[in-house]
Amino acid sequence: MSDHDGCVSGHCITCGDEATPMTVLRVDEARGLALCAADEDGGHHTVEIALVAPTGPGDRLLVHAGTAIASLQEASA
Amino acid sequence: MKFVDEFRDAELGRVVANEILASVEPGRHYKFMEVCGGHTHSIYKYGVDDLLPANIELVHGPGCPVCVIPMGRVDDGIALAHEPGVIFTCFGDMMRVPGSNGSLLEAKAAGADVRMVYSPLDALRIAKQNPDREVIFFAIGFETTAPSTALTLKRARAEEVSNFSCMCSHVTIVPPLRALLESPDLRLDGFIGPGHVSTVVGARPFEFIPADYGKPVVVAGFEPLDILQAVLMILRQLADGRCLVENQYKRVVPYEGNLKALEVMSEVFELRPHFEWRGLGFISHSGLKLSEAYADLDAERRFRVPGVPVADPKACQCGEVLKGVIKPWECKVFGTACTPERPIGTCMVSSEGACAAYYNYGRFAREREVV
Repeated sequence: MSDHDGCVSGHCITCGDEATPMTVLRVDEARGLALCAADEDGGHHTVEIALVAPTGPGDRLLVHAGTAIASLQEASA
Repeated sequence: MKFVDEFRDAELGRVVANEILASVEPGRHYKFMEVCGGHTHSIYKYGVDDLLPANIELVHGPGCPVCVIPMGRVDDGIALAHEPGVIFTCFGDMMRVPGSNGSLLEAKAAGADVRMVYSPLDALRIAKQNPDREVIFFAIGFETTAPSTALTLKRARAEEVSNFSCMCSHVTIVPPLRALLESPDLRLDGFIGPGHVSTVVGARPFEFIPADYGKPVVVAGFEPLDILQAVLMILRQLADGRCLVENQYKRVVPYEGNLKALEVMSEVFELRPHFEWRGLGFISHSGLKLSEAYADLDAERRFRVPGVPVADPKACQCGEVLKGVIKPWECKVFGTACTPERPIGTCMVSSEGACAAYYNYGRFAREREVV
């Protein structure tokens, strides 16, 4: 699938229902954005965090199309 | 990797598979629909179906957002991309979806400024970098993606980015499921519910399926063990005579959903009276458009779009595949005239599409070998 535009790790991270786990590296409170590292490949992404605020470095987020849609809670794993 | 490795454990997978084998009723044929294209992709990537008994059939539902976009809507996007001064942005897979006269990728080759983005935020950034151009974002996807579009539109409004607009083709998951359940040519025993749509909307919206149609639903995650466990949970409901919505994906999905996401969606979007789905036709209240409060950011109001419905190619049987009536390999053009490199139908375009999943993981066999 690597020949598909926009697809990494065997599937399209933007179009499908599937979201991607990421770890927060840094938070820009003023702009409501966070710099996150994707678990799958370590790539860095700017992520909208309005739906999961407050969040901070080290937190694990589920990210879809550049927006964190859920926090991954250790206790509920 | 936390939350991932433990759900890919092969030994645990075999244990659950044995429990599934012990739970099936001999002689009974089970048909479960996985609603989400992400599940379809995982099932074939990890060979989950090879761990299931032969009398459990997985039917692939309409949950790939690329696959359900009709040709006329692609034509509308191409028409906007050809408007003078426009930069047209969309997700990668959408660029390859054929319209009645080519794809957005072909429009780009013909001179239109079409750019792939990974998120609506990327599209907004392009608008800020190009203040003398009109930047349109082609928004597709279910409730998983819609909050991202909504937040970006709010951000565009707050940052006064006036050259940004959105062609909204977001869809909602419940109406097509209801349409499928009303379809006389489809017999199902249960549903594997969409994991990440449910992160946003919660599990509650699926309660109509057991209540009105008597079918169990288990909302599931995307790792192989998630899917196997969901199958087992459906089987146990059937064996116990129970019928309800269960949440296998509790580590991510709150039963009530993400209330902040639902709030921002209700502010930015409103339901269209009807929306055309590929293969399923027009379904009432199944698509989203921008609300009156955000009408100035609506590309369909800012520009003229043709809005002409186009019939699917006769050779293509995406409609039957999307409804789970036929398997991808039963389509006349599967793997011959229609391949991921030269797709005729949308199900072959996106990696979440059932046809692409079958093709890419070599599922051409008509009989399943169970291990």
